[in-house]
Amino acid sequence: MSQSRLNRHQISRHQFSPPQISRRHLLKGLGAGVGMVALAACAPVAPATTGSTAVNAPAKEKTTVVLWSSFTGKNGEAETALVKKFNESQGDVALDYQFQGSYEETAQKLTAAIQAQNAPDISLLSDVWWFKFYLNKALLPLDDLLTTANADLSDYQDSLINEGVRQNKHYWIPFARSTPLFYYNKAKWAAAGLPDRGPETWAEFMEWAPKLTEMDGDTVKVPAFVHPNGGSYIAWIFQAVVWQFGGSYSDPDFTMHLADEKAVSAGQFYKDSVHKDKWAIPTKDVTVDFTNELTASTMMSTGSMGGVKANAKFEFGTAMLPKQEQFGCCTGGAGLALLATTPEAKQAAAMQYMLFASSPEMTTFWAQNTGYMPVRKSALKSKEMQDYFTQFPQFKTATEQLALTRPQDAARVFVPNGDQIIGKGLERITVQEEEVATVFAEVQTILETEAKPVLEALKAVEG
Amino acid sequence: MFLNTSSQTRLIQRPSPPSRPRSRLGSATERHEWLLFLLLVGPNLGLFFIFTYWPLLYNGYLSFVRWDLLAPVKLWVGLGNYQELFTSPDFGKIITNTISFTIAAVGLTCSLALLLALLLNQPLRGRTVARSIIFSPVMLSGAAIGIVWIYILDPRYGLLDVLIRAVGLRSPNWLLDPHWAMPAVVIVYVWKNLGYAVVIYLAGLQAIPRELYEAALVDGASNWARFRHVTIPGLSPVMFFLVLTTILATFQTFDVIKVMTNGGPVDATTTLIYYLYQEGFVGFNAGRAGVTAVVLFGAMLIFTMVQMRYTQRKVYYS
Repeated sequence: MSQSRLNRHQISRHQFSPPQISRRHLLKGLGAGVGMVALAACAPVAPATTGSTAVNAPAKEKTTVVLWSSFTGKNGEAETALVKKFNESQGDVALDYQFQGSYEETAQKLTAAIQAQNAPDISLLSDVWWFKFYLNKALLPLDDLLTTANADLSDYQDSLINEGVRQNKHYWIPFARSTPLFYYNKAKWAAAGLPDRGPETWAEFMEWAPKLTEMDGDTVKVPAFVHPNGGSYIAWIFQAVVWQFGGSYSDPDFTMHLADEKAVSAGQFYKDSVHKDKWAIPTKDVTVDFTNELTASTMMSTGSMGGVKANAKFEFGTAMLPKQEQFGCCTGGAGLALLATTPEAKQAAAMQYMLFASSPEMTTFWAQNTGYMPVRKSALKSKEMQDYFTQFPQFKTATEQLALTRPQDAARVFVPNGDQIIGKGLERITVQEEEVATVFAEVQTILETEAKPVLEALKAVEG
Repeated sequence: MFLNTSSQTRLIQRPSPPSRPRSRLGSATERHEWLLFLLLVGPNLGLFFIFTYWPLLYNGYLSFVRWDLLAPVKLWVGLGNYQELFTSPDFGKIITNTISFTIAAVGLTCSLALLLALLLNQPLRGRTVARSIIFSPVMLSGAAIGIVWIYILDPRYGLLDVLIRAVGLRSPNWLLDPHWAMPAVVIVYVWKNLGYAVVIYLAGLQAIPRELYEAALVDGASNWARFRHVTIPGLSPVMFFLVLTTILATFQTFDVIKVMTNGGPVDATTTLIYYLYQEGFVGFNAGRAGVTAVVLFGAMLIFTMVQMRYTQRKVYYS
């Protein structure tokens, strides 16, 4: 510091000032430059639609349709192949497939995109998300387009197509639809001396469970069964169990039943499986555990079958879900919806893809590659599918069970965050060993509070 | 040299103001300078306003409405969201989680980093390699680290379980036991961020003049006395900087929690920032997320102000 102070008085200005450009000029130039860059960044970008094709002057310009979707791994590869097949199958529509992350992330980005008025034309929406967009009038009713396109709705699986209907209008076309399914490790089954089939009832499974559970002292090393955690949709799987016990989460009119006796007894069954009878443990990813032989069996989505088939180094079997008082199995997965912001000129093109993706041929291709349900009745009867059943009987079980499924309870799919609210309650009993009746009563109160705005919105939309 | 020239320039271009009265932007030169100032500062201020201040203000507004991020109408509920959050049974737990995560993560990062930095400041063989190894996790993405640690921590086949068994103990079920999930997240956070703190400490240690140590030695100061009276005061500005930045970073830690635990099990690792995400982007409750953001912002602001004021008096700046 002292040195510079000395210099300031000793050195005259002209010795150091540049002869041509003054500091001020330089700064002005820089300032203007920064301003120009900032302005350029704000300038609208020219639409990049038909740049190169315009030069070649094609007879007819393709309509570009944007699709947002959520599949990764084996399922992602199958979807990319499906899109490629579509683009090669015709010359009018170019489908621009854009991966957006998980079901949740896709819904988050779609919300933001709608706010920014930059939504895609078609979006994949899971069972718990499409209704939120419907309530906000963000989805287009598809009936006129379906009629124009001559779609045969009677060939769709009734339980699946009807889930996307509100006030006699279709909003959600089944695509990657699934159900929970019982998976078991045949090697472990054989080692325990069990017959090569799934348990008929939970009582039967509880007889088998001690033979399947490997203990390490007093802790379970390899359990007979694993439960998913809240983040991996335990509330979806458990919904089927509640039905099997004769209960439900709620009625379609949002009357909640989680605190009812039957649901509580199902909860007690889950709690005991971990803490009293010790044949199950909660885990982060049931697919990973099953594929790596860290459990003898589990219930998971049919949509996981493609991955298990590709990665498991053992033979696995599938079975319908075990019964208790009755059989119970819900549907799940995702469907395709058309956004209300899609320009009229593109709507028919978008519908063309939605029908292509759910056509008998493509739903067969998709189902065989992923394990999701064939959404068309004719696809189930087709020769390809029948041949596939012979090669891969595990998949046949899944399709047989489909006929016995029913749509999910409003508490999980229509209450905002319902899946996670119930999932957290289930974690409290399976992980934290809390009393089932108390937890379910608290969860029911939360569900009732959260359902109120939905009921108001529903009244405004549907009257 | 540049400094000297510019000082000189200023001296020559701005002679002492003449006595005649002027308005604030009186002369053409001053107007010119004011324009230049705006031109230079404008773009930055504009960006700050759009990406920082406007979201801050808008968030304040959102904390007073009920909105699902999609509906065309936002319903004004006044202080309803605040009341709902503060009386929610989850709120106490979330605050406790945030505080315990911050204290544990900051305490461990700053103290372990100091020990490592003191060690690596010694003329030891292989210390450059050791420094690189310790620093390397800093460069990795939190999400990737989280995924790797899920496998390391698994009590059935994880690497850590092998080590724990080697000393005759049993691995807890880190990520699925509500008592162990937070320690697991803290371990991963500290492991990831330790290297950064070590590097900052090392820089601080090397800036302490050697003469001070020599003088202390001549005065007969013990190792401890030199550490206590030379190293610690010399490092105090660096410590202050580290503690403050680590606290602010832990308040905002999201990636590791999202990937490893999703805030669970049973909210055991739900901190304020994770709760904000859950309410805003999973539950689509903009109002409740807005209130959480206000609380988080307020906590960080108060904390920063108190700490600045307190530490300014205590820290020794050379």
